[in-house]
Amino acid sequence: MTRLPARARTPRRPARARTTQPPVRYRIITASLLTVAALYFLTPVYWLIVSTTKNSADLFGTFGFWFSAHPHPLDHLADVLTYDHGIYLRWFANSLLYAGIGAVCATLLSAAAGYALAKFPFRGREAVFNVVLAGVLIPGTALALPLYFLFSSMGLADTYWAVLIPSTVSPFGVYLCRIYAAAAVPDSLLEAARIDGAGEARIFGGLGLRLMTPALVTVFLFQFVHIWNNYFLPLVMLSDSDLYPIQLGLTSWTGYADRQPVLYQYTVGGAFLSVLPLMVLMTVLQRYWRTGLTEGSVKA
Amino acid sequence: MSRDTLSRAAPVAPGRPAPRRRPRRATRTEARNARAAACFVLPFLAVFCLCFLAPIVYALHQSLYTTERTGPLGLGGREHEAFAGLANYAQALSDGRFLAGFGRVLLFGAVQIPLMLVLATALALLLESAGARAVTFFRSAFFLPYGVPGVIASILWGFLYVPGISPLVKIAGALGWDVDFLSRGSVLWAIANIVVWQFTGYNMLVLIAQLKAVPGELYEAARIDGANAWQVARHIKLPLIRPALVLTTVFSIIGTLQLFAEPMVLRPLASSIDSGFTPNLHAYSEAFVGNNQHVAAAEAVLLALVACGLSFGFLRLVGGRAKDRG
Amino acid sequence: MTSNPMHRRTVLGGAAALAAGFALAGCGDSGDGDGRAPRERKKGQKINLTFWSWVPGIDKPVDLWNRKNPEVQVKVEKVSAVNGEQYAKMHAAVKAGNPPDLGQIEFPVIPSFLLDNGLLDLAPLGAARHKDKFFGWQWQQSVFGKGIYAVPQASGPMGLFVRQDLFDEWGVRTPTTWDEYEAAAKAVRRKGAWIETFAPTNGNRFSGLAWQAGAKWYANHGDTWIVHIDDEPTRRVADYWESLVKQKLVKTIPDRQNAWYKDLQTGAIAAWVGASWGDALLVGNAPGTKGRWRAAPLPQWQAGGKDFANWGGSTTAVFAKASYPKDALDFAVWLNTDPESIALLIDGGYGFPSAKKGYSTADLDVDKAFFGGQAYSKIFADAGAHVDTSWQWGPGVDTLYQRLGDAFTDALADGSSFRSALTKVQGQTLADLKGKGLKVESGG
Repeated sequence: MTRLPARARTPRRPARARTTQPPVRYRIITASLLTVAALYFLTPVYWLIVSTTKNSADLFGTFGFWFSAHPHPLDHLADVLTYDHGIYLRWFANSLLYAGIGAVCATLLSAAAGYALAKFPFRGREAVFNVVLAGVLIPGTALALPLYFLFSSMGLADTYWAVLIPSTVSPFGVYLCRIYAAAAVPDSLLEAARIDGAGEARIFGGLGLRLMTPALVTVFLFQFVHIWNNYFLPLVMLSDSDLYPIQLGLTSWTGYADRQPVLYQYTVGGAFLSVLPLMVLMTVLQRYWRTGLTEGSVKA
Repeated sequence: MSRDTLSRAAPVAPGRPAPRRRPRRATRTEARNARAAACFVLPFLAVFCLCFLAPIVYALHQSLYTTERTGPLGLGGREHEAFAGLANYAQALSDGRFLAGFGRVLLFGAVQIPLMLVLATALALLLESAGARAVTFFRSAFFLPYGVPGVIASILWGFLYVPGISPLVKIAGALGWDVDFLSRGSVLWAIANIVVWQFTGYNMLVLIAQLKAVPGELYEAARIDGANAWQVARHIKLPLIRPALVLTTVFSIIGTLQLFAEPMVLRPLASSIDSGFTPNLHAYSEAFVGNNQHVAAAEAVLLALVACGLSFGFLRLVGGRAKDRG
Repeated sequence: MTSNPMHRRTVLGGAAALAAGFALAGCGDSGDGDGRAPRERKKGQKINLTFWSWVPGIDKPVDLWNRKNPEVQVKVEKVSAVNGEQYAKMHAAVKAGNPPDLGQIEFPVIPSFLLDNGLLDLAPLGAARHKDKFFGWQWQQSVFGKGIYAVPQASGPMGLFVRQDLFDEWGVRTPTTWDEYEAAAKAVRRKGAWIETFAPTNGNRFSGLAWQAGAKWYANHGDTWIVHIDDEPTRRVADYWESLVKQKLVKTIPDRQNAWYKDLQTGAIAAWVGASWGDALLVGNAPGTKGRWRAAPLPQWQAGGKDFANWGGSTTAVFAKASYPKDALDFAVWLNTDPESIALLIDGGYGFPSAKKGYSTADLDVDKAFFGGQAYSKIFADAGAHVDTSWQWGPGVDTLYQRLGDAFTDALADGSSFRSALTKVQGQTLADLKGKGLKVESGG
């Protein structure tokens, strides 16, 4: 990839040509590099689509990049959804619940905390902020184990709460909200609202949240994906498969697959189904990823 | 991030009772501020303490104790916790496999993070260059893998790695190239590939966002000054995305030290991945397979310390350099 | 940068405050003073029991039980069995004080759970009266001292599966001794296929092979554990497989994984030293090879010998904190002795029943057609009758397997001897057990 600039430099043409339209050669190089990269990123996705049409025997017995002779993708996907009394749908719903509710709560908590840290000069503020910042840097997996023992002693292990509660904490969200609020919420506006007699809660709810919206969307998306992708915490916390999020469910299927080979095919089909909506979501919501994140890094 | 944080750091040592001498006139606003701030910060802090601080304290506590057993053969007898000092840390640090795991992820990070960020930067610059067509398609294609969770990405790539099943190995074989992605020498890079695949697009997006934040006139002005595409990229765009690169590097460092799901999923497929392949996997094995909570706690603490140390170290490094320049 | 140490102090300061809170809350210790005292069920009272298992077909007999016993409802929670995760979960739950009522636990790991006081001693509940319903040696696997800690469910007598069609085609005779096995391996290799894989991470099978050779890894003397992983028979087994590996007569890929199944399907691997429960695996994962497999007795170290061993096999155990121990025991006994339940377990492909009655050996030939009509279960039944019953498991076997796997993986990578791997594991195991506060001595 890094070779491009060197090549792009070779055609020494007058500068004014470039201000209107880059040379054809340059465009071809750009396009081919981008195509190679796209091939790399899409190959596994293509494999997944192809494999969804196969049963377990074909999965192992036929060439991975081409369709099976007797593709039955819809039957296979229907099997995935109905297997074990439709447990797959339940896992899917669980994932949505953990990621959805967790991310909403995390966003609100972060917004409030970040707002306060940015707008209220209280004693110990920096201490609080530094501790939170350290929270960003501590690997979450290092915490999961002690957290399990803690939650067990409170009777929370193996319940929805065990995954939901930790999911509502996003130190990075607080960091981002503070940075964003400091820049996007003018003090003068707050003072004006206070003079008008508005309470702090109303100012935050009406004014603060509105002004911080771009950052909040980013925090929400970030946390949603974080929770959706989190494997270690549910792995440690949950044993009742009715509570599993989708990934834990799918890995548990691969775990039984040597006794029930049909589960290989279900795992692949299940992976396909679970990846689909998230990929669509990613693509559609792309632009929301940018705003807040850059704010965070630009301001820092 | 660093300079901002550090320059704002409180001059008062926290965690101690506040000294009772404040200028009078400030008291009322301060009290009002403190009350409002408390209402806003406390909900977060409560959950934060429960889910971050408490486990750390618990791990610290656990790491200093050990289990002693009495009773015939140690079975069915009483067990109690006894203070062990730093014995668990000594044991963790003298465990060659644990240290090797650290060495492995450090090597992993040293190669994978720059590789991924160079790739992300290159793709971002290409997509933002004037020569690019079908930008939306390419950007979506690169970003797509971010929607695939690590576990599922590992299952996918697992199928593409396992000899005998992998179409990639088959194609390579047909070209006379005998590859084994899961051999001892290559499995680490097979995992690195999964991480690169997943996160390059995400990092690219962050960088693109930063590039877009730059007013277009700047580029136009540079072009009119006769700068070619490479010069614009090198002298205008790269310095501009530096803060974003710092941010993504820090996140990548943390992510690297957490490496768990990928080796965990690939482990049954590859006998080259041992129980201490990454420090995290080692701690998990100690805690759950070996049932050694105390050593595992010590390892978790060490892991957290190294992660913090490395991240701060990196921030300090780039912060320092920026100061030299600026 | 001056604020960096400051920062650390912040963290530690907060931590210290929290530590104090912890001590008060008393969450630091998993004492047994919580409210889950064992209770007796009153007549007509409805109760629920939870049962952690990973056996795919276990729901069926449990459903049957639930229909027959409306007052004692059992709920199965499936726990993943990848990399021994199920035990990881159970250990953690025991430690945390919230284990299920019942659990599926394999023979080798029972002592590990005794170490945490995780299992309920069933002797005071009169479990001894069920003893005669089961094969003696399997019952003994969960007896320690005077305590009875589980109800055996199934065993896994070892045997050899071969692709008879390929062996016939290549003129290779099914080996009856390990010498013949090596010769067969060479013959198969000459045809471009492999006889087997030696999966370095499969400590489970390796222990079975050592068991067959007469090894005694664990023993006890007074209140001291005697550990001898590198005893003479085990070394012989290690030398044997090392030699096969070094001669490149066996593969070293993991078994029971994608690549291995693929090799079984294509005939790239033509035999498998497996166990009675292996039939379901072959049928499920290599359906295209139907009719071509046969089972044979495990090769012997001495011609005409009758030394067999066990791989796998599990029990239904009652956890120490079970709310209704008596009902849990009743369920465990019913699950593993009731003829209807056994029939459902056999259907699920779950190994050789530990119960003596309630089925016939022929019932176990679930997939006769796959084995070309062979009454293959007879072979395993015969092996089961000759398993060396003096073998004993000790605490920390799951760790031991991991150590063995790591050591063999290292040995394969750097070419060092399997013997030295055993010596290493022996040392590590002694240290592990000492670290758990046990009295340990090295055997031999």
